[in-house]
Amino acid sequence: MEPLILAVEECDFVNEPVCAPGDVAELFVFTDTLWGTPITRTIFLIGLAALIVIALLYFGYRNRQPVPTKFQAMMDSVTGFVRDEVAIGIIGPEGVKYFPYLLSIFLFILVGNLFEVTPLINFPITSRMAIPAFLAIVTYLIFVIVGFAKNGFRYLADIVWPRSVPVAMRPLVGIIEFVSYFAIRPFSLAVRLFANMVAGHVMLSLLLVTGFIFVVNIGEIPLKGSFGFAWFALGLGIFLFEIMVAVLQAYIFTLLSAVYIQTSVHPEH
Amino acid sequence: MMVFAQLLPIAAEEAENGEGGLEILLPATSELIAGIIAFAIVFFFVWRFAVPAINRALEQRQAAISGQIEDAEKAKAQAESLLADYKAQLADARNEANRIVEEARQDAEQVRADVIAKADEEATQIRSKAREDATAEKERALADARSQVGDISVDLAGRIVGESLDPQAHRELIDRYLADLERL
Repeated sequence: MEPLILAVEECDFVNEPVCAPGDVAELFVFTDTLWGTPITRTIFLIGLAALIVIALLYFGYRNRQPVPTKFQAMMDSVTGFVRDEVAIGIIGPEGVKYFPYLLSIFLFILVGNLFEVTPLINFPITSRMAIPAFLAIVTYLIFVIVGFAKNGFRYLADIVWPRSVPVAMRPLVGIIEFVSYFAIRPFSLAVRLFANMVAGHVMLSLLLVTGFIFVVNIGEIPLKGSFGFAWFALGLGIFLFEIMVAVLQAYIFTLLSAVYIQTSVHPEH
Repeated sequence: MMVFAQLLPIAAEEAENGEGGLEILLPATSELIAGIIAFAIVFFFVWRFAVPAINRALEQRQAAISGQIEDAEKAKAQAESLLADYKAQLADARNEANRIVEEARQDAEQVRADVIAKADEEATQIRSKAREDATAEKERALADARSQVGDISVDLAGRIVGESLDPQAHRELIDRYLADLERL
């Protein structure tokens, strides 16, 4: 609620087209610490996300009866999806080894993303570069280490000298492949998630806050005030859209991590 | 989208003015440390506790399902053996019934033959008895007739001849007559 309050105080709703904070960083960077510790709001939310993931799994898998409860059945379908469709489905039978990692990133990113549309939180921790960058680097380390461990030097050789393309094309394709594998992959993985969540948070904040402020002050600005309803309605539509984006981006990050690991486990494909 | 278009110049302006843009793009050290610790805890929990529990739940369900399939197969085999038993019993019963009917038929045939034979025998007996009776009756009638004829002849002869006939001649006459009768 902090950015919303700031925007209400600062917004010159009579003259400005939208109620945006003076610095866009105000939507993302929280420097106030909580309870006199170095914990900022973002750090608190990162911890909360971890706690929620652990709680979901804890309550999903304690006291298992032969017939699971509705919540347990839902958790079964989530974990079963990551295990059977992503880990085993993409990587193959040995994908089971990577299931703990894939399940961890999926649930952690999913909860972090859904914070964007969680009332009273309204802030996706994945819109802070720290989380996507760190997880992308972990995926990067896993697929590079697995690639070399499974295939030795041939892993690198097959990338820079791809034997499946004509000889004349090999140097060019090799350079493209090398850059794609070792530079673009981790970067695009991190930026895709980060940018989606930043864009979603900016859109929701601006539309809902502007709509709210315009409608509240409709007495002073009749025309803008009536437009405020449209902004607010559009904001609610995007709110629903962002729920889908949150799930989709968590899935894409997990899926691409599995695909990258798969290319290291079976480099010939 | 209009809003976004309006926002872009603002963001660009902010990026020019100060650190706003860069601050958003680069990971903050404190958040990076928090993220690493939080994710490490999540991963450790998932790896040590959640995944084994998930696999256990999966195995439990598989065991339950395969147990149910086993039970169903057992029940099916039992039903099939019962059916075979019933069929065998039914076939036995049918054979038994056929045998009983056949026996009964043979018995009846036997009884019929016996009855006919007995009736034949009785008829023969009755016929021979009747024939014997008739013969005896005839003998008796003949004897009666013979004695009556003697008496009548003597009486008749006495009347015709009167006292003229001497006793000697009388006796001879009778005897001769009787002898003649005997020859009949």
